[in-house]
Formats: sequence, C-alpha cells, structure tokens
Amino acid sequence: MNPISRDFAPPLSLIAPFFKYGVLFYLLAMGALLFFEPTFSYAQMDIAGWVHLFLLGYVMMIIFGAMAQLIPVVLEVGHVVVDVYYVILPLLGFGAVMMVIGFWLMPALLPYGGLLVLVAMLIFAFENIATLKKTEIRTLTVKTVAWSNGYLLLGILTGFVIALGLSGDLGINVSLMLKAHVYAVLGGYVVLTIMGLSLILIPMFSLAHGFDEKAIHIAFRLVITGVGIVFMAALISQEWLMMFGYAVNTLGIFFYMWQMYIIAKLTVRKELDVWAKSIIFAFVSLILAIALGLLYFVINSESILHASVWFLLLGFISSFITGHLYKIVPFLVWFERFAPLVGKEKVPMLHEMYSKEGASMMFGFSVAGVILGGVGLLFESDIVFKAGASFLFAGALFLYIIMKKMLAYGE
Amino acid sequence: MCNITKETTFDAISTVIDPEVGFNLVEMGLIYDAIIDEACNVHVIMTLSTQGCPLHQMIKQWVQEAVEKLDGVGSVEVEVVWEPAWNISMADENVKKALGG
Repeated sequence: MNPISRDFAPPLSLIAPFFKYGVLFYLLAMGALLFFEPTFSYAQMDIAGWVHLFLLGYVMMIIFGAMAQLIPVVLEVGHVVVDVYYVILPLLGFGAVMMVIGFWLMPALLPYGGLLVLVAMLIFAFENIATLKKTEIRTLTVKTVAWSNGYLLLGILTGFVIALGLSGDLGINVSLMLKAHVYAVLGGYVVLTIMGLSLILIPMFSLAHGFDEKAIHIAFRLVITGVGIVFMAALISQEWLMMFGYAVNTLGIFFYMWQMYIIAKLTVRKELDVWAKSIIFAFVSLILAIALGLLYFVINSESILHASVWFLLLGFISSFITGHLYKIVPFLVWFERFAPLVGKEKVPMLHEMYSKEGASMMFGFSVAGVILGGVGLLFESDIVFKAGASFLFAGALFLYIIMKKMLAYGE
Repeated sequence: MCNITKETTFDAISTVIDPEVGFNLVEMGLIYDAIIDEACNVHVIMTLSTQGCPLHQMIKQWVQEAVEKLDGVGSVEVEVVWEPAWNISMADENVKKALGG
C-alpha cells in the first residue's frame, strides 16, 4: 500500500467523535430552543448560552473534525501533530458545557469553561499554523486558512476577556468587546472557513470543473479586510468605521455568492440528493439573511435583525454543515472500513451508507423549522416560533440517529 | 511475446469503481492511455475528477493492483496527469445520462 494515502489521513477513531458529539450538541441546541421566546435582547445571558451551545458545541466541533480531515487534502501535507485532536475534543466539549452552564446557571463557571475552550482553540490554531508552514502551496485559499486561524485566536482571546468581565474578575466594557468577539469568530473564522470549504467541496461533490476563481479571490480579500475593520472599529468604538466594515463584508459575501453561482452553472451532477438540497437551502437562507440585514439598517427593528441572524445561523451555516455531513461521514467510514477491501470483496457505495428516507425527513423537518422559526422571530409570534423549534428538534433527532448509524456502518 | 493489450488493460481497470459516483474509472473517462512495451511493462496514464480528491493515492493504487492481476504483466506504473483536465464530455453516454449532464 502506498504510504502517503494513509499517513495523511487521520484515523476514523480520532475524527468520528467530533461528528458524534457535534450532532449531539446540535440536538441539545434544537431542544433548548423550545424554551425560548421570540422576543429577546442579545445581552441576555440565556441567549448567550444558547449561542455558545450552538456555535461551540455544534458548529466548531464539526468544523474542527472536518478540518482535521481536510487540511491535509488542501495542503497536501500531513498534520504536524495530528494526535492533538484527541486533546482538543474533550477540552472543547467540556469547555462548551461549562460555558453554557455558566451562562444559564452559574456565571462563576464562565472563566473556567472559557479557559478550556481557549486552550482547545489555541492548540487547534497553532497546529494548523504549523501544518501550514510545512506546505509549499501558497494559494489564496491557503492564505485564507491562515487568516481565519488568526481571527479565531483574536476571537477567542476577546471571548476569554469577556468571560472574565462577566464573572466580575476584570473591569471591561463588555458590549464593545462583544461585537469584536462575535465578528472575529463568526465572520473571521466560521464564514471565512465555510467560504474556503465551499471552494474545495462544492466543485468536488458536484463535479464542476474549469471555472474562473476571480470572484472568490475578491470575496476572500474583502471579507478578510471587512472583518479586520469591524474588529478594530468595535475595540475603538467607532460606529461609522464599523458600518464601513459591514459594507465591505456584505460586498465580499456578494462576490462569494457570485462564485457559487458560477460553480452551480458548471455542475455536472444534477441529482438532488440531501447534500444538494441542503446546499441550495443554505444559499437561499444566506440571501434571506442579507436581505433582512439590509432591511434592518433601513427600518431599525430588532425583530428583523433577529430573523436575519436566525437565517444566517440556522439556515445558512447549519444547512451547509448538515448537508456536508452526508458526504464527509460516509467517506470517512468507507475509507477506514471498506477501502482496504476494494478488489477483494463487494464494497458499498457512499450513498448506500445512510437511509435516504431518514435524510429526507431530516431535511424536510429542518427546512420547515428554519422557515417557521424565522417567521416567528420576524413577527414576534411565540406559537409560530415554538412550532419552528419543534420541527427543528424533530429534524435534529433524525440527524442524530442517521449519524449514529452511519458511524457504526460496517463495524 | 506480450499478450497484454490496451483493451485488456482497460478491462482490468474497469473493475475499479469510484465509490462516490458509483461508476468505474474507464466509463468515467478517467483513464487516458495505457502504454505496453515488449516486456509487458504497463504504463497507465490517468486523471481524477478533482485535484483535491482525498482518494488520490488509493485510486492510483487500486488501478495498479487491478493491472497487476493480468497474466504475464511486468512492472506497472500509474501516472496521474492534470492535462488535459477531465470534463464530463470524456465520460461514456450512460454516465452522462445518469449524472444528468
């Protein structure tokens, strides 16, 4: 066997728990939504708790697992120390749980949870940066990975300072620091990472070839610059500069969507499987989130901003991630358990490794949940919002069961 | 006298299936050429549907193992090239139809 193929790929036992626990956190986050009202303020501790449950437990957990697998693919070199992921998982998991409990019940736990998350992310970011240094590839995508890791560090440092402030250990202006923290983590890390992953994964799974990459390069530059501007503006409390940063970022997202449109036009695979449907819904949600975000600057109604953020988090980010789980997880399981059997016995195809009916149910419930939840927030209707949360929870249950079966396939 | 031909080599490689799309590499149009010399050494020239394919090394290896099963084969070398880049027009009609292209 050629050693390169296996040396670069982290073992399934290392990556699988990120997906397993990530999906469990998603289930918990969707269940928790049932206890929230559609009217709230971002300063509420219970809202901050839910956001950390969703972003740290689910989004970051899945992204970290995916990056453990994809960094070697993109950089064409192995991880410097791949075993650090065994340490990152419990630190991130326990840190997220402690932070959520801290926000919801015991503020004194916040700095301890924050510290665990800080250490997990520092290890992740420095391992990535060390691996980046090994590669000779210097494409803009690789540079974007470096920038996103830099923003992750800034985001988590500001987050830790906020945790100290909230627990009363440090006298700081929490609201100023909060904007910088949210923007560095959400825009600087999550959105930039999703943009980078889109450029690699969407053409790979849709078999799109020969497309021009100018639009995504402009998008990378604009979002990197825009996030930097908002981060600085938030720290020095310059509202006009922050607005300028928002505008630069919005322009960057338009270029990103333009690039995705170019790729979609060249897509060879027309099959509408759960991945394709999730990606389409993710981009429809992103358009809705931007439209509502722009409307917020005109009308200045909090409910519009809440709906915009909802469609960004639950519609775009969440659908993008869950859709890709149906491609990445079967591949990882297949690679570990069936690739060595190729040519020796019949092996399953990747799409045979999960229930299509179950995936359709998950997709249907989740889409209904996102739409109803968004409408509930927009019109501040408790019953519509709760209906959305119920659908999302049902979808999350399907996802959890499907993921469990996928990870156990062929054991 | 070497009995291995380009056709027998392609037949052997057609047992290798891409697990993502479910078609064999030959009908996908990923195998560009097979050069066989008098000593029955085989040099396969192929491509992949994407440069970032995580199965790159494994697919190369599966092709090599499939050709090595041919009777009387000498050494087998598999070369992955990116020019010309693969596109759907290189695939068989049944693949194009199934993928909807």
